[in-house]
Amino acid sequence: MADLTLDDVSKVFVENDGNEITAVDDVSLEIDDGEFLVLVGPSGCGKSTTLRMVAGLETVSSGEIRLDDRVINDRQPKERDIAMVFQSYALYPHMTVRENMSFGLEESTDMPDDEIASVVAEAAEMLGIDELLDRKPDDLSGGQQQRVALGRAIVRDPEVFLLDEPLSNLDAKLRAQMRTELQRLQEELDVATIYVTHDQTEAMTMADKIAILDDGQLQQVGTPLECYHEPENLFVAGFIGEPSMNFFDVSLDTADERLVHDDFDYALSAETQSALDGTEALVLGIRPEDISIGGDADDDHRYETVVDVVEPMGNENNVYLTFEEGDGSETFVATIDGLERVEEGERVVAHVPEDAIHVFDRRTGRALRNRRLESETATEPQL
Amino acid sequence: MATETSDESGLTGTVSDLSLNRVALYGALLAFVGLYLSPLYSGLTTSFKTQQAFTQTSPLQPPIELLPVPHLEGFTIDPWLTAGSELAFSMINSFAMVIPATVLSALLGSLTAYGLTKVDWRGQAFLLALFLAAVFIPYQAVLVPLRQFWSIVDISSLHERGELVELTITHIAYGIPICTILFRSYYQTLDDELIEAARLDGASLARIYRKIVLPLSLPMFAVTLIYQFTQVWNDFLFALVLLSNRANYVVTLELNALQGSMATDYGVQMAGAFIAALPTILVYIMFGEQFAKGQTL
Repeated sequence: MADLTLDDVSKVFVENDGNEITAVDDVSLEIDDGEFLVLVGPSGCGKSTTLRMVAGLETVSSGEIRLDDRVINDRQPKERDIAMVFQSYALYPHMTVRENMSFGLEESTDMPDDEIASVVAEAAEMLGIDELLDRKPDDLSGGQQQRVALGRAIVRDPEVFLLDEPLSNLDAKLRAQMRTELQRLQEELDVATIYVTHDQTEAMTMADKIAILDDGQLQQVGTPLECYHEPENLFVAGFIGEPSMNFFDVSLDTADERLVHDDFDYALSAETQSALDGTEALVLGIRPEDISIGGDADDDHRYETVVDVVEPMGNENNVYLTFEEGDGSETFVATIDGLERVEEGERVVAHVPEDAIHVFDRRTGRALRNRRLESETATEPQL
Repeated sequence: MATETSDESGLTGTVSDLSLNRVALYGALLAFVGLYLSPLYSGLTTSFKTQQAFTQTSPLQPPIELLPVPHLEGFTIDPWLTAGSELAFSMINSFAMVIPATVLSALLGSLTAYGLTKVDWRGQAFLLALFLAAVFIPYQAVLVPLRQFWSIVDISSLHERGELVELTITHIAYGIPICTILFRSYYQTLDDELIEAARLDGASLARIYRKIVLPLSLPMFAVTLIYQFTQVWNDFLFALVLLSNRANYVVTLELNALQGSMATDYGVQMAGAFIAALPTILVYIMFGEQFAKGQTL
């Protein structure tokens, strides 16, 4: 059992024409023993490369990867005491499930055969695949193959568990089921785990800690709720949450104490304004579930809007709105209760409460002001 | 088919169009079958005829008289017995040369391809280019240097069977490039994550080849074995240049010699040709299923 540390780790690929591409840029992470870290970001952000560097499948261009206090940069994959589950599962097609699961122990340990057999049997039972031990991977369903891939990693009893988009090949129902199962398993095994995914739902639901990557750079590391409610920048705010946070390009009018948008004005309290520090080019952000519909347009934060599209989800409705006063080009989304009836083309008043708004510096993307959060009133994240 | 979708001609029109097409199609196919099989067929009938029957009947006519009652006329199996005994020793020589040549060039080609696809090192592209170029070197172009090489590395002086060893090594070397290219295209389709998983499982490069890559290459081995076996078995040119001792003759050379010694006995020559071709046909039958699998991969 060990803590894994990434210290300013970078990966630079040199192309044939001599061009250098920085896939991972000075990423620092700490994963404590037993912690479940989800590395999330859009495709091509460097998350898989980071994972492969930890596994030893990619060399590290600069920086250090440490397991406890030992630097493991130059160690061969097999000397790292790390197990990995691949996106394609990478099961050996010519071997039975049993052989697949024993292979790692046969290759990397001196364990006698009968002991290997009992370790494999135990892991298979834990995963509910003990009936399948004599079958070949091709005879198994996607979900069963997934379990075998997990089993192959578990029997190694590794210091660190790496999972590279393990659920992306499963259908939606099975994926949700495996999500909880994986979490339970990880808690049981109590091993430091890095889980790579592009799916923010997986990140939010499974992680002890989320690390969000974009373009090779670490955007934020924090608990799922921190990343959701207190995003450090525009990217994180937009990436986490479904439907995404609404963004409006606004500018600060200090004289009138308000944010000015082509379609609307938004009055600011002194407290909010002081947080903005005089920055003029801003982005106003508001989560869909923080917008409520109804009432009269009688205060500064209520706006006359027209319903453009309604997406009923059953438990809730995603309502796409346009400002009545604007040219209709700016659409934003509000999530309301599923039983509340709203028709397309209907005029409604949308309320954008000031304690729920986020304000970002448009130039740097940095969050200047995040929503106010009193733990008891914090809305549940929308996934 | 167009005739099935045309509704102008009606159902009867469709049926007659269809059957006309079919008749034409099968007619053409049968004509081709006849064309391809006629040399084999006439060879086969010739090999079962006495000399007298051979000179007096058409090559296409079987050694059977239908009238007054069907009976064998001018039929003999002597050509087969003669050819069999003449070729027996050279067949053994051929097998002794072809089997190691085929297996080793396939194995070495597979190893080379593994090194060129699944292992990362500098200079791979250059080496691959060399292998590719080697595929296109014609036999005739290397005959003189080959002869010179084997007179320097003179294995034939060490042992009376040395010539056969020289021929075997020559075929192995000549077969490696094409085997490498065949295996390379196969290994490129092999999931890299499999190899990576095995590396994480603690297997060394050699173990990964032995435990993962080799077992998964079996269909490709069938392809290269059939291809190499046919190439090497049928080779005449290298054998002609490298073998001088009659005791070391492979079957292609001996078949040629048969023509000289049995000047006009076409029956023996035909029987000899069939005997010499038999092993390649058997290899196709043996590995055919795997071959088809390897082709579709």
